Amino acid sequence: MSERDDHDLRDRFQRLRREDAAGATPFRATLAAAATRRAASSRPPALRIAAAAAALAALAVALVLATRGRHGIAIDLARARWEAPSDFLLRVPGAELLRSVPELGRVTPPFHSFGY
Amino acid sequence: MHATSRDAWELELERLHAAAFGWALACCAGDRAAAEDALQASYLKILDQSARFDGRAGFRTWLFAVVRRTAAEQRRRAALRRLLPLAALDAAPDGRPDPAATLVRAEGTQRLEAALATLSRRQREVLHLVFYQDLTIAEAADVAGVSVGTARTHYERGKRALRRLLEEEPQ
Repeated sequence: MSERDDHDLRDRFQRLRREDAAGATPFRATLAAAATRRAASSRPPALRIAAAAAALAALAVALVLATRGRHGIAIDLARARWEAPSDFLLRVPGAELLRSVPELGRVTPPFHSFGY
Repeated sequence: MHATSRDAWELELERLHAAAFGWALACCAGDRAAAEDALQASYLKILDQSARFDGRAGFRTWLFAVVRRTAAEQRRRAALRRLLPLAALDAAPDGRPDPAATLVRAEGTQRLEAALATLSRRQREVLHLVFYQDLTIAEAADVAGVSVGTARTHYERGKRALRRLLEEEPQ
């Protein structure tokens, strides 16, 4: 890019600069607005205080509930029993045979009841 | 802050006010209300000494860096406000300019602004600092918080893209 091109760009930016300067808020007015802004921000509005208080209260309630939940319910694991929904599939006829130890010389099932 | 010292800061700020306003506008993508907000907040930081001038760079370079940081903070805050329904908790402070008050622009300036708007933020910033504020590329790098090499790359690429955009026929 040539120096002439740079010169043209600089001209364009300087025109922009002149237009900005013509529309700029005067320095004293900007300072006065900044002072007003500082005064406004040093007095937190009631809405902001209320929101902070509500957030703190919500946090306190959440903490209390969490603590109570941790200590309030006692679970006796020894007595706890869980049955799976598919347990019925394991209940087959004669299942007690599978859970007992056969003894020699003794016939446990009542075969005669089946007509043998 | 000592009274005379505060007066001295005010004199310096007044001397650079027009340039700082132009820079604030560039940092806020031409949004006048946002630029005025950023400028006011920057002046407060400087006069309250929450931003301290350590003399490592020139005063103008430092002031522009403060304005740039403040504008970025305001952009982040505005983005957060858009995400969270907190508009009622963060009302616009008093002393805000009338957002309807727009700057009068000639046609050529409008084209320049439109072309600048298509560049990346960094390219826009470096070109503004060099061509509008007459800073060197090294000073522009200081303001933008990047290395001189990076600033030079943004300057060259940005200049090429801007030239191409300005040469296109206006629609």
